[in-house]
Amino acid sequence: MSLSIQPYSAEQPVNPYLDVDLYDPDADLMVLNLGPQHPSTHGVFRVKLILDGEVIVKAIGYPGYLHRGVEKLCEKLNYSNIKAIIDKNDYISPMINEQAVNMAFEKLAGVEVPRRALWLRSLLAEFQRIASHLIALGTFGLDVGGALGGGASAFMYCFRDREMILDVFEELSGCRFHYNTHCVGGNRHDVPAGWDRMVLPALEVIEARLDELVDMMVNNQVFVDRTQGVGVIPKNLALGLGLTGPNGRASGIDCDLRRDAPYNAYGEVEVRPAVRSAGDCQARFLCRVDEIRESARLARLFLAGLPEGPISGTKPNKGPTSVKIKEGRCYVGLSTPRGELGTYLIAGGNKGLSPYRLKIRPPSLHHLASIPYILPGNNLSDAIAILGSLDPVMGEADR
Amino acid sequence: MAVDGKNDSLTYTNPAMDLMARLPGVDIFTSTVDRLLTWGSSNSLWMFPMATSCCGIEFMASATARVDIDRMGTIVRGSPRQGDVMVVAGTITVKMAPRVKKLWDQMPEPKWCVAMGSCAISGDFYRDIYSVIPGIDTVVPVDIYVPGCPPNPEQLMAGLMRLQEKMRAQQRGEWTEPEIRPETEKMNTQPDIRRLLDDERDEGISQAQYDGSCSLGMHGNEHRRHDQVGNPVGVDREQGVEALILRAQAHAQAMEALRQEAAQEFAAAQAAKEAKAKAAAEAKAAAAAKAAAEAEAAAADDDASVAGDAADEAPAGDGETP
Amino acid sequence: MTTAEKVAALTGTEVQELETEFVVAPEHHFALAELLQSEGYTFYITVAATHFAGEVPNKKNPEGSPETFQVATVLRKPEPGASSFACWRVELAAGEPIDSLVPLFEGADWQGREQFDLVGVVFKNHPDLRRLMMPEDWEGHPLRRDYAIETAHPPWR
Repeated sequence: MSLSIQPYSAEQPVNPYLDVDLYDPDADLMVLNLGPQHPSTHGVFRVKLILDGEVIVKAIGYPGYLHRGVEKLCEKLNYSNIKAIIDKNDYISPMINEQAVNMAFEKLAGVEVPRRALWLRSLLAEFQRIASHLIALGTFGLDVGGALGGGASAFMYCFRDREMILDVFEELSGCRFHYNTHCVGGNRHDVPAGWDRMVLPALEVIEARLDELVDMMVNNQVFVDRTQGVGVIPKNLALGLGLTGPNGRASGIDCDLRRDAPYNAYGEVEVRPAVRSAGDCQARFLCRVDEIRESARLARLFLAGLPEGPISGTKPNKGPTSVKIKEGRCYVGLSTPRGELGTYLIAGGNKGLSPYRLKIRPPSLHHLASIPYILPGNNLSDAIAILGSLDPVMGEADR
Repeated sequence: MAVDGKNDSLTYTNPAMDLMARLPGVDIFTSTVDRLLTWGSSNSLWMFPMATSCCGIEFMASATARVDIDRMGTIVRGSPRQGDVMVVAGTITVKMAPRVKKLWDQMPEPKWCVAMGSCAISGDFYRDIYSVIPGIDTVVPVDIYVPGCPPNPEQLMAGLMRLQEKMRAQQRGEWTEPEIRPETEKMNTQPDIRRLLDDERDEGISQAQYDGSCSLGMHGNEHRRHDQVGNPVGVDREQGVEALILRAQAHAQAMEALRQEAAQEFAAAQAAKEAKAKAAAEAKAAAAAKAAAEAEAAAADDDASVAGDAADEAPAGDGETP
Repeated sequence: MTTAEKVAALTGTEVQELETEFVVAPEHHFALAELLQSEGYTFYITVAATHFAGEVPNKKNPEGSPETFQVATVLRKPEPGASSFACWRVELAAGEPIDSLVPLFEGADWQGREQFDLVGVVFKNHPDLRRLMMPEDWEGHPLRRDYAIETAHPPWR
């Protein structure tokens, strides 16, 4: 007698708390530890897989191998020093993470941000989204294709294109990574002269090469076989788990904070988020591809319409005490390449100089919370594809 | 194997070398072979990435098209058994450190370690946090430090070239300058755990770290009780959440008792202070009354004396006090 | 009847706007989440627990004040074009458990475990309450106010 485990579906949901003793007393089960040091877990994430032959019976996730106590550290730091730490949280899209905490601080401090800074923030966010999705696509190709197979070329192409975005950022802020270019009330670095002559060709090249990449992967039968119908997340499960961003939109949740709760300059342009309904690995992949195209379109809009004026409403933060928030609490969400990055802030620690409590809502942790539901019933090789398609960033999930 | 050779216990000697050194004429052959092997290994440093966070992305970028670190023969391998150089790229936490130690022990000799980025070198601004270890050189010996947050791919490449030069110089028998761990002036905090090559390091720490890494099992035969593995300490699975609630309530009661004790102490201290203040005030009042009485008596005595005498005494009294 | 009025009727508190954080008694926590889910707030966003260490006896407050916890929950209404969220908090005495939302939202599982691990709030009816971030043999809850940030953990730090 053997119970068969089927992949998650609305009719037959998977029980993530399954007692393995009840599964099949006679089955020869095997435990496989995937990670924490494994190239395809995208960081240091450990999944304990309980296998019946090739089929996963139960998956237990263990995050926390990169828990750096960022929230505790933020309670000790002054407001103007926090954004440099938050940069390192989601190290694939640091530009947007800085904006998230700054938006919360600005909301509580009541600081007005000039219009040019808002447009510049949106522009930088769209660039960062392209760079982040390129990493997601490249590493997904590496996961699906294998280190020495065809997927490695997708990896190489994506990273080659991403370097152009990093050059654009380096020209603006002086850093390839961890820009620290936002401050409460505006930005620190204005657009350098002749920047658009560097930006527009980069966008053109990336868009042209993206078509090549999609041809190479989506028209590849091996890729289709490994992604289509694998790791399906139904809409209800995605809502309950809180899957946001491309992962949620691939499951049919038509929600994008850029359009639905506009912040920065997104209220002034039309945002058309890519929504798909299949909810499988291929849908998540294609959502990201569509988002790159959409981001390139938005970046052109923001660059063309960049208004004149100052980039900072207040003086740039020289001393560490220049921001002071006596009290208040708020929740602010914004849309990163991974999903809704929320900042729940209780002000009033250290005589108003630092937060009393700063809780960051990491989209990646919610995405990883889905693996006990969607891995069982799949083959072991599909687990790699599913993990890669979720595109988690452990720095953000563990904080 | 530390190329600096500072710690003798870490250098590696092949047991076959002893035998060969005793045979006549073989030393010329072995030294040639050694030169050949060093040439080969320095030009094919296979890297084992211990990439945990931000530096891991720059590590990946250095392996891709623009920098293309492969042209130095450094191929990235995912298995410790195939690696020569462990590149620690990113923050290492308390939960991760035993794994790093275990993977380092699994790498075959000769092996080298590169600490990439300030988190791996010293913990950077996370160094004071409860869950971050202050530099990977408290766990494994580091040969090359590549500073930066994160370092550019070019800097990683320069670090690997430094490693190659050191290997060649060591083969030639030349003395090489040991890498100095980069520190900023602001870093006054010393970690509780000393560095591996620090003379004041306790041997017990190394043994405890080794034991900790060895105790990481795969839980291979425990799959029937997999969900008991991660239970909170001291809580039975059968009792579940109720036990946790009881424990939290006990903790809260203990804290409340402490608070009440503190409040009582505070009240007692306040009462004692007040009583003391009252006593002092009373004493002061009594002294004042006494002084007033004395003054009255003195005034009564001095009534007969001349008023000019009192005026003479007062400046003399002032002059004595300092 | 708007959602805010329904929430006010259920919890017996003044609720003007769901996006401004409002206080709810612990016994209404689960029922409120159920109500909001049926009202379209089906998107599980986050839970944030906060520890308030209480006050040691001092001149202004000779009795001191006990330690308390606050647990804030955020749910979102995924509506194309106009998305809004609801944010409420529950104030708990020390040692008092709070209802887990796992029967309603699957995402409350790991989020609850994280808050239990870091802050030490116990979630009732949670199917699998274990530590999530810290090693399983860790002592204490790091995000409590009385937990020193530089706590040593030999032999590793």
